[in-house]
Amino acid sequence: MDIGFSKEEELFRQQCRDWLQSNVPAEKRPLHATDALEFDKAWQGKLFAAGWAGINWPTEYGGRGLSILQQVIWLEEYAMAQAPWVGANFVGVNHGGPTLIFNASEEQKNDHLPRILKGESIWCQGFSEPGAGSDLAGISTKAHVEGNELVVNGSKIWTSFAHVADWQELLIRTEEDSQRHKGLSWVICDMHSPGITIEPIKKMSGQVEFAQVFYDDVRIPIENVVGGMGNGWRVAMSTLGFERGTGFIADQVKQSQEIDALISTARDNAMIDDGEIAGQLAQMRAEVAALRAMTYRNISEVIRTGQPGPEASVIRLFTSELGQRLQHMAITLMGDRILDFQYGDNDDVQAYLRGYASTIAGGSSQVQRDIIGERLLGLPKSR
Amino acid sequence: MDLTPNEDQIAIQTATANWCRDKLPLSHLRERNGDIWDDLFAMGWLNMTTEAGGLDHGTEAIAFAELGRHISPISMISTAAAARWFGVETRVSLAIETENGLRIFDPAPSGVAVGLSQGKLSLWQYPETLAGTEGLDQSVAFAKLPRTPADTISDDPRAALHLQLLAADFSVGCADAAKDMATEYAKIREQFGRPIGWFQGIKHPCADMAVRCAAARSQLYYAACALHENSIDAALHVRIAKRLSSDAASENSRMNIQVHGGFGLTDEAYAHLPLKRAHLLRFIAPVTTAELLKAA
Repeated sequence: MDIGFSKEEELFRQQCRDWLQSNVPAEKRPLHATDALEFDKAWQGKLFAAGWAGINWPTEYGGRGLSILQQVIWLEEYAMAQAPWVGANFVGVNHGGPTLIFNASEEQKNDHLPRILKGESIWCQGFSEPGAGSDLAGISTKAHVEGNELVVNGSKIWTSFAHVADWQELLIRTEEDSQRHKGLSWVICDMHSPGITIEPIKKMSGQVEFAQVFYDDVRIPIENVVGGMGNGWRVAMSTLGFERGTGFIADQVKQSQEIDALISTARDNAMIDDGEIAGQLAQMRAEVAALRAMTYRNISEVIRTGQPGPEASVIRLFTSELGQRLQHMAITLMGDRILDFQYGDNDDVQAYLRGYASTIAGGSSQVQRDIIGERLLGLPKSR
Repeated sequence: MDLTPNEDQIAIQTATANWCRDKLPLSHLRERNGDIWDDLFAMGWLNMTTEAGGLDHGTEAIAFAELGRHISPISMISTAAAARWFGVETRVSLAIETENGLRIFDPAPSGVAVGLSQGKLSLWQYPETLAGTEGLDQSVAFAKLPRTPADTISDDPRAALHLQLLAADFSVGCADAAKDMATEYAKIREQFGRPIGWFQGIKHPCADMAVRCAAARSQLYYAACALHENSIDAALHVRIAKRLSSDAASENSRMNIQVHGGFGLTDEAYAHLPLKRAHLLRFIAPVTTAELLKAA
């Protein structure tokens, strides 16, 4: 075991740092998805042009094909430089793209992957439904085949960036009367297709970022199915390991900056004299450090065996709950100024309200605890 | 950068776990006696990081976490620290100094105890005839002496950190023991016609135990590497490892009793053993809030 980086890795780190230092935009990313779209696309384009997009993606699709450790270093430096969140490119770069790399045909990959990396096409995710949240296998949006087309009817919800997206990774029921995980397909859906209606939903933070999407006889070419008809569940789950490897590194570096800033704020306004606040800050500093150690350990496991370790599921839960506590401490230290918050403010209160999503989106904390209990500890399955 | 055990370390972990399973079962915890020490020395655990031992703190942490899982003699950690920093080659008692006096855990024929005094690794000599009595942690006898200045003090800051890390090693093992005991019981104990581990009211607290174990062990490995490399933030990382592992041991061992229900309340079942050990571990090189808030 060791915690050092090689000379080559340190050199790579310096290259990342140098480029970020002179290229991170000075202005803050706009709050609402529509206002932020041009900002997000321009930033992704800039990353691509300089060779910083798709650090670990294969070179034939525009990626850099670098090692996991180099990816880790890039993400650490990215967060340390306070570079903007990938925003509207999140699904394409972090989920849809990797799913295509693992499952799509050469044609599909050549068609979509370079455009995702260049920031030219925005993706959204169509998994959750009004009746299928934590119970994702309860999907009822369905399609029947007519000629070479799928005809889709139903609705998806909590779809981030739906109203600015060009494409969607859409999980639907393509076999009539199929049950649960069977008979689903993962389909590339053109969000500009006739029959799609998008209704943006305002969040409790005032932010407009996600939406409900309605499908009324939407026609999708059968060739847009990825990984074969009826294999949707397997395809949708194939990128979970990807997410759990390096997906949260930027969040973690951000959290380590946040805790230092919070301790310094609490010293400045003397709230650190409150033993309870001091204790919570100390505890969070300890947990931020442990999270980094856990991530390094998990990545070491990926490098050694090609797979994340069984404890990888712990990291997601730990990151999201710790992040929420940090956000809560930030507004605690604001005192009564939290009461002045108004929709449109882009501050700590906004981040705190938005942060309620982190223990719900992409698998609630309750589901995460089920997964840890059943897959890591071997307790009997209750679902 | 690699925070996973290598092949040699996995071999040591396996050998340690197997030995503990055969020689230190919790069912015989209270019948353990001094005879075990010849074996403990022969197995090589007590001088791993001395010049002769030649191993790093990471390897030691992996072995001591396994020993801690079996609530091994608490004075193994003082003996290992004494071997490394004072060159003592025999069994050394653990000293815990508080305002109320000096407690000597596991009084030994050597008449030597090691612990922290004012943040430094310190050595006390005491009468060889000192006899101990049973305390809260029933795996070890202790004797209470009036507070006296230490006879020898190490000025090397790594010495105190080493003892703190060893206590963290044992704490990680203790947290693991409680987690494993609770989850195994949740698989076999049936109520309402099914194993209690089926219910989220049991499953989720068990998951939280696993989370605390994963965080504490990862930080332990990181801190062990930092201390071995003597990096500038080694002290902060060792303190964090001690804090998180001690909390994990305490909270997991409390939850373990809850999962065991009525059986958890008894002297006969083993659920109280990690709890009592966790209380003892808290007092070994404890970490203050101010220390954690200090910049690295």
